[in-house]
Amino acid sequence: MKNIDDPQKLQKEILKITYLISLLPIISSLLFGEYDITLGFVFGLVIATLLLRLKYNNIIRALSMEEDSAEKFIRNRYFIEYALYFVVLFSAAKNANLNFLAAAVGLFMIKFVVILMSIVDLLKDTFQRKFDEYK
Amino acid sequence: MIEFTPEVANTVITTASYVAAGAAMMAGMGPGIGMGFAAGKATSAVRRQPEARGPIITTMLLGQVISASTGIYSLVIAIFLIYGI
Repeated sequence: MKNIDDPQKLQKEILKITYLISLLPIISSLLFGEYDITLGFVFGLVIATLLLRLKYNNIIRALSMEEDSAEKFIRNRYFIEYALYFVVLFSAAKNANLNFLAAAVGLFMIKFVVILMSIVDLLKDTFQRKFDEYK
Repeated sequence: MIEFTPEVANTVITTASYVAAGAAMMAGMGPGIGMGFAAGKATSAVRRQPEARGPIITTMLLGQVISASTGIYSLVIAIFLIYGI
């Protein structure tokens, strides 16, 4: 990854790629007239973006603490985040205007992009090494 | 062979799905413990090497983002089991 030294730039890069990839399901569901999928997906994506930001702020706060208190702090914050994920998925399950699976996929989009970026980096490194060996 | 009436069979299935949903929710606890452990170690790493703060934060952020997904998987499965969507 290019911006490994700057977490804020990396966050922006991740979000940019996530939104670009998300355009495909959003536009296709709009074209097919499945508005509940669009709404569910956008709902999940927005919450995932906000939770990424929250996670970053929590990490910055935890780094100024002692080891034990940082451990407890991050653990407690994870359970709060978990409750937020539950609220999002529960409301998507209960509301007929939101598609449950689309909301779940929206929540997962950032994670998929991070994995995708790591795989691309790994492949790039492997090919570069092979190319250098060949030269 | 024991034969159940449809009402009894439905009750058994509903109870089993609730128990399974509870077991699935247990999977959400693991990432929290792991994340806390990683955060504690990252704190001491930053104290040892303050110049490596950027890469440590990035690695921790990406690690936490990925490790949270197993908790969400379990949550999705639990909601599926309870509401049968």
